[in-house]
Amino acid sequence: MDPQKIIEHADQLHQQAQIIAARSKDAEGQQLADKLFQEAAGLFEEAGDKVKVDQVNRSRVGLYRDRYLKGQAKPAKRSATKSFKDWLMFFKIGCFGFGGPMAVFTLLQDELVHERKILTNKDFLEGAVLGDVLPGPVTMDIVTYTGYKLRKWYGAFICTLVFILPSFVIMLGLAMAYDKYSVAPNVTTVLKCLGAAVTGLILSVALKLSKAEMRDYRELCILVWAFVSSFIFELDIVLIVGLCGLAGMALYHSDSEELLQA
Amino acid sequence: MITTLFQLAWVFLKIGTFTFGGGIVIIPMIESEVVTKYGWLTHTEFIDAVTLGQITPGPVIVSGTFIGYKAAGILGAIVATVSVILPSFLMICLATEAIHKFRENKMLANFLRGARIAVIGMVFDAGLSIGRSSLVDTTTVLIAVVSVLCLFKYKVNPIWILVGAGVAGVCT
Repeated sequence: MDPQKIIEHADQLHQQAQIIAARSKDAEGQQLADKLFQEAAGLFEEAGDKVKVDQVNRSRVGLYRDRYLKGQAKPAKRSATKSFKDWLMFFKIGCFGFGGPMAVFTLLQDELVHERKILTNKDFLEGAVLGDVLPGPVTMDIVTYTGYKLRKWYGAFICTLVFILPSFVIMLGLAMAYDKYSVAPNVTTVLKCLGAAVTGLILSVALKLSKAEMRDYRELCILVWAFVSSFIFELDIVLIVGLCGLAGMALYHSDSEELLQA
Repeated sequence: MITTLFQLAWVFLKIGTFTFGGGIVIIPMIESEVVTKYGWLTHTEFIDAVTLGQITPGPVIVSGTFIGYKAAGILGAIVATVSVILPSFLMICLATEAIHKFRENKMLANFLRGARIAVIGMVFDAGLSIGRSSLVDTTTVLIAVVSVLCLFKYKVNPIWILVGAGVAGVCT
């Protein structure tokens, strides 16, 4: 075939693709334009016109950049479905959080920091600080804190609600059964095995968190002090957190460059 | 009935405001209120309520649902649960906002940095304390070792660990 004709045809395709790319707003049109660009590029290649191939490729890159920018510009819709999934996650943890507060602490850390990356380890620990210092179960406090971080009061409300709902329903069912038959299940062995698993859970989350947070000897000092005062001296939680906070103020007083990221 | 609901709300708001740290600490206080003072439950029922609170998912504080139900039916359960959650809910939201506002304050940032490490230390303590009371035979030690391995090395979802341990507990 005559190279001149091929080039003409390819030129038409190229123009058509550009028009489609400029007009269409949806993914379908973008795909069509992309297909035409590819076709045109193929034909130019066949005809041996390097300059034109370059041109077409540049238009294609432009198309992708536009699509990328559009994708960046509308995160609202995506985050709505995403936050629905997050609520579902809190519901799930609410359903499976057997074995006491520290087990739930592990589940939350795993989901929020590792799986979904909603919080950094730092954010998560700050939530735990608030939960320790303020009243209420630590785990519920972390859930409320995460919800507030995501969507202010609305988020805090929804997250706390879906987190507490499974336990509430199960407990209500058990209370009704108890009231009617006045028997409590014998759960000693189950509790024992859960306790053992929870020990493992807690130790692993403690190891993970220390791996993430330890930077130098100062962190280690505070960690050892917090552990000793809690394990041996059995000081009050609020007191431990307060003292370690003060230690932090004293130890990190000199360095300023890390402040923004720390 | 209405009086009971108000009493429930008052008692559980109080409990919700003073439950620092874990749920277990507050149990004697709840007992003196709901068993001795108001007589909503007998002593045995109260112990069963706490046990159930421990085996059901979620915080132990959900025992309040049970107590509320015993005192005033389903409405009582709702009132008790909401009241026990409300104080910490409000405080956490306000505190999160405050931290967000004073983020740039260097003193606060350093304080939080120290406090974060304190939490890790206390998590270690919690692990050892629970381990001390629950690792009593080969089965339990085995379960604990396997869970640490699975979680730290192979990154298994912790939910499966809990379900597995529960099943092991039912079977043995």
